Amino acid sequence: MQRGLITAAVLAVSLCLVGCGKTESGNAPAGASGEQAAKYLVIFSQCNNAEPYRAEQNKQFAAAFARYPQVVFVITDGQADAAKQISQIENAIQRQPDLLIVAPLERNSLTAVMGKAMEAGIPTICLERDIAQPNYTTFISCDNVEIGRMAGRFIVEQLTKKNGSPKGRVVELTGMKGVKAAGDRHDGAYEILDKYPEIETVFSGTGNWFQNEAMTRMEEAYNATEGRIDVVYGHNDPMAYGAYLVVKEKNPELAKQVIFVGVDGLPDEGQEYVRKGYLSATFIYPLCVDKAVEVGMKILEDKDFKPKTTYILPSAAVTPETLAAKTD
Amino acid sequence: MKQWLTNFLTHRRDLVQSLIVLAILFTFAVIFSPRTRGEYTYNLFGLSCTVEHWPIFLKIENLTDLLRANSPVAIIALGMTFVILTGGIDLSVGSTIALSAVVCATLLVEQQTSMATAMIASMVAGGLVGLVNGGLIALLRIQPFIITLATMIGIRGLARLVVNNEQIGLVGGQSDSAIHFAHIMSQKSVVIGAFLLLAIAFGLLLWGTVLGRYVRAMGDNARAAQYAGLPTRRVLAAVYTLTGLLAGVAGVFTCARTNNGNPNEGIAAELSVIAVVVIGGTSLAGGRGSVTGTVIGALVIAILTNILGLNNVDANVQSMIMALVIILAVVAQTISLGAVTRWWRQWRGSTTN
Repeated sequence: MQRGLITAAVLAVSLCLVGCGKTESGNAPAGASGEQAAKYLVIFSQCNNAEPYRAEQNKQFAAAFARYPQVVFVITDGQADAAKQISQIENAIQRQPDLLIVAPLERNSLTAVMGKAMEAGIPTICLERDIAQPNYTTFISCDNVEIGRMAGRFIVEQLTKKNGSPKGRVVELTGMKGVKAAGDRHDGAYEILDKYPEIETVFSGTGNWFQNEAMTRMEEAYNATEGRIDVVYGHNDPMAYGAYLVVKEKNPELAKQVIFVGVDGLPDEGQEYVRKGYLSATFIYPLCVDKAVEVGMKILEDKDFKPKTTYILPSAAVTPETLAAKTD
Repeated sequence: MKQWLTNFLTHRRDLVQSLIVLAILFTFAVIFSPRTRGEYTYNLFGLSCTVEHWPIFLKIENLTDLLRANSPVAIIALGMTFVILTGGIDLSVGSTIALSAVVCATLLVEQQTSMATAMIASMVAGGLVGLVNGGLIALLRIQPFIITLATMIGIRGLARLVVNNEQIGLVGGQSDSAIHFAHIMSQKSVVIGAFLLLAIAFGLLLWGTVLGRYVRAMGDNARAAQYAGLPTRRVLAAVYTLTGLLAGVAGVFTCARTNNGNPNEGIAAELSVIAVVVIGGTSLAGGRGSVTGTVIGALVIAILTNILGLNNVDANVQSMIMALVIILAVVAQTISLGAVTRWWRQWRGSTTN
């Protein structure tokens, strides 16, 4: 009896939560007039809302599509679960959207279901991560190896400025082992750094993309090298920032001399760290939003438009100089 | 004194064996540590002494670094020891770290509250998660694994919802109390000191109070404890609430250390916490274990991670070595010294005869 009552109460509460937790937010005004105005349904299958990069992506997508009253824009969250993202795309196909945008969680698992969307005649934009077969209308992405190369060139340039010639001691804080982005960002940078025998990697630790773990690795790196460090290259901005905090606590003077380099360059994360002088540079990993909206709107409105199969977006360095140039 | 030592060696065999593992590991760390390039001067309690090519592992700076880095996990492990002693488990502590960290950062930066308010609110949030865990386990009599698995998922969602999937930076805003908070609560003396005080408090709680005895009794035989009229429901509610509270404390320290309220903080931290407790000799079956053991377990993990890091061992190899040490540490506790001596005598006997 007691257990039955509790079960009933729990059920009631969770149903209420479901009611108020509905997050599907079309941006067309509600009501009959809104429905008339909205001609197009655009569904964005995001692989995991709970990452800063992706949260920013969602925010910018919603803002960009809000400029088009004829579009109803819906985001689904795959919650870092490939099976969940697949079933969400299957549901999306049933709703026959005019445009499907997918940020796939994994290249192999999402390939088939995106093929189904194409078969159903839905124009599909694949964002940022490639899939195993070209089951998309167009693929918009950025090259992590090239970002690594840019970071490598920046490190060489800064070391030359600091030590007179390209020589110095580098600490690398890598992303999660076995993740392609981490491998690419390493490969690109070391393609450049390996050309200079006097640039020495004195420590390479894995921060798994987390600032907290990177800080512990940086403490080990600092103690093991007794603070003889010229460069810290973090595979993302939080790890580079964590390294800065560690060095600053141990030796504030040294923290001003060490070159901290990050990747991603989100406006209120990496770019903010550069603006505040914590990082020497960050390299933007584009959110791909503007390009996706531009190409997407053309697909919707212009029946004769044929998009390219791939668009590779350029990265850009963010340094105190580029930030100053922007505000001028 | 001799009497006490004999007593300790015979009755606290599990602790003695954990201490041996710790001592061996410590020696290894000293031997395999990289050395300082020049001289190193110790400054301890006014005494100073200068040594050349000193093991970096033994530098005060390094030892305090490793203690601070591992304090959040070690603090939660104190509570987890109680939970595991009752025969339970708490999988939700990692998510609770995140909830506490984002509550703390949000209050400091967006609500501009004082340091004390933010910290108390974060710990209360952690304690409430624990109370929900304990309450549901006690009232519904559902296995703790299932209840805390559910709250692990749900609380992670709540933490992300609170900050809308974003991270709240403490230094980004204009809040003085946030900067003040990050500075004070990341000090080594504060973090390590908090861990030591909590370890003593929880050690006394388990060793010298009625609650401690009830916890052990329930782990030994839950049904017997119930028939004997022990307030098992209230004990369960208490131990899970305490663990949640400690996860809240860990979240506050993590927030200060990273200058950041990150809803993805503490993913898989529950596993590190459980590893610490298990290495400390606490049995997952309940009933057997101690807070001292857990402190030793935390030191084992901390020293091992640090010495592997100082030598810049590959991350994947580190994971494999970690696995080996967990198994070895637990095996070392199950081998009985008496059995070894008996076996030795028999073996000698059989060869001489």
